[in-house]
Amino acid sequence: MLEIKNLHVSVGDKAILKGLTLSIQPGQVHAIMGPNGSGKSTLSYVLAGRAGYDITEGSITYNGEDLTALPPEARAAKGVFLAMQYPVEIPGVTTMTFLKTALNSQRRTRGESDLDAIGVLKLVRAKAKTLNVSEEMLKRALNVGFSGGEKKRLEILQMALFEPKLAILDETDSGLDIDALKLVAEGVNLLRSPERAMLVITHYQRLLDYIVPDRIHVLARGRIVAEGGKELALELEAKGYEHILKDVA
Amino acid sequence: MAGLVLGLPEPRRNEAAALFRARGVPHRRVEQWKYSDLKAALGDAGVGAGTAQWRTGDLPGGVELFDLAQGNPPNWVRENFAHATDNVMSAASLTLAAGGVALRVPKGVTDPLTLDFDGAGHVRALLVLEAGASLTLVEGVGVAHFRNVGLEIVLGEGAALDHIRVSPADDAAVLVEEADVRLAAHAQYRAHFASFGSKLSRMEVEILLGGAGAQAHLSGVSVLDAKHHSDVTTHVTHAHGGTISTQLFRHVAGGTSRAVYQGKVTVAQGANGSDSNQSAKALLLGESAEANLKPELEIFADDVKCAHGAAVGDLDADSLFYLRARGIPESEARGLLLHAFLEDAVAEISDTDQRERVRTELLAALKGIG
Repeated sequence: MLEIKNLHVSVGDKAILKGLTLSIQPGQVHAIMGPNGSGKSTLSYVLAGRAGYDITEGSITYNGEDLTALPPEARAAKGVFLAMQYPVEIPGVTTMTFLKTALNSQRRTRGESDLDAIGVLKLVRAKAKTLNVSEEMLKRALNVGFSGGEKKRLEILQMALFEPKLAILDETDSGLDIDALKLVAEGVNLLRSPERAMLVITHYQRLLDYIVPDRIHVLARGRIVAEGGKELALELEAKGYEHILKDVA
Repeated sequence: MAGLVLGLPEPRRNEAAALFRARGVPHRRVEQWKYSDLKAALGDAGVGAGTAQWRTGDLPGGVELFDLAQGNPPNWVRENFAHATDNVMSAASLTLAAGGVALRVPKGVTDPLTLDFDGAGHVRALLVLEAGASLTLVEGVGVAHFRNVGLEIVLGEGAALDHIRVSPADDAAVLVEEADVRLAAHAQYRAHFASFGSKLSRMEVEILLGGAGAQAHLSGVSVLDAKHHSDVTTHVTHAHGGTISTQLFRHVAGGTSRAVYQGKVTVAQGANGSDSNQSAKALLLGESAEANLKPELEIFADDVKCAHGAAVGDLDADSLFYLRARGIPESEARGLLLHAFLEDAVAEISDTDQRERVRTELLAALKGIG
């Protein structure tokens, strides 16, 4: 589903990713772990299509198509979803209006008909329940005054609503206490399916106790430096990144 | 001089004429007109001497109207009309206008009042709300080569006025208005000024919070394109303690347009415990668009709470990316963010019909902006 080959990415004239190669099949959950500054967030932004990240070498192929040629909105309509580390606050746009606009924009791009307000509301309500997202939250301006946990829950609610084929979770665990983390992980696990691939990006092993990946990649200095099964997370937790980086160097 | 407002006492008329003669038509070297050069905008035609038209909608029951072109004004007009100010354009309309309207609103009026100004020239208006009265004033602004409106608003104790003014887009019109608003104790003035820009449009408001608990809440939006110019200049004086003023202005400027906000708040000596807040923000969509935002504070009292802020920028890149990453096309995402930016100020309009009307006009204007 997703094939990243020898990816080099620069921001300004600073090289961040330096030859990253990664392949994910439908139904799989992969985790990317790495220390601060290793290029984790850059990878998530490049996949979602944010401006300012220059691909200087390599390729990203998504379902056989060159993903880099598409603007962010087209990627979203084709099923790429990025749950962001820092969801933005947008005063003046209610959460419900945003969800409806986004959902119908994706549908339109795919050539499907719009859902009416009631249809969207029903859909949102059904998904909101399991994630403990209240009606009151949906009426508030998007992410404005939301706690860290509420923001992350809303990200997962969007994931449930848009039903992406490839979901990228960027540090979804950051800023969450253990209860909030469990709730978010539960939401994510409900969305695991044979058709859906997930890429879970995290600094800490903690999240992977709850969202158990099929495969773990360690990203450091812009490249994948180690790979393994879920036991790799425990090794990293016990010995730290330094240990693995030493072995690589 | 031909055709003057008949109700105006001779000495007051002479005073205004002297002020206007001494200062002349304001230009950019006059500090308050630094960003809006009226003299240049008018060119050789100058301010002229004609009288512009006024028209009211159906008068709500109990509202009294006096035509200022008539003689023998009633006492409530004599007492309140042509209050002395230092405003040169207000002096110009007192000197040159041959007509205008005075309106008195008693307690118990519930229907809104429409007051339209049209045509070229100068015109005066006086609106008096008696103690405890409340009113929604919907002011209509017709397009004209040049019009100068001198509006006076007098709010009695506990009176509440909701004032909505929408200035239309026009490439050639020069539209200026000076509102002089005087509030007694516990009176409330809420005003929303929406502007779509013209060759030069300027709304200048002088507010006197003259009694304990008096409040002024000003808000406004402008959506400007092409070479349009829109100026809101305010001066709020907290003359008494325990008074409150808030100001919230949001501007979107495209093309080579220019948005101006100058807001001065004066807290007079002894007006302790006053509370004022000013916020002005502009988004510039065109590389040659300009915004001049100048909030100002002058405090002579103790224990006051005054805040002000101004910011000029472009649409937030993080927000734009967030919306696009959720599948919303760029142009639609930009529209959504622009609308959200303006909505802060639109939400200040308390009358639901008027709020909806301004919202609709804004959306239409945003669609055409470049």
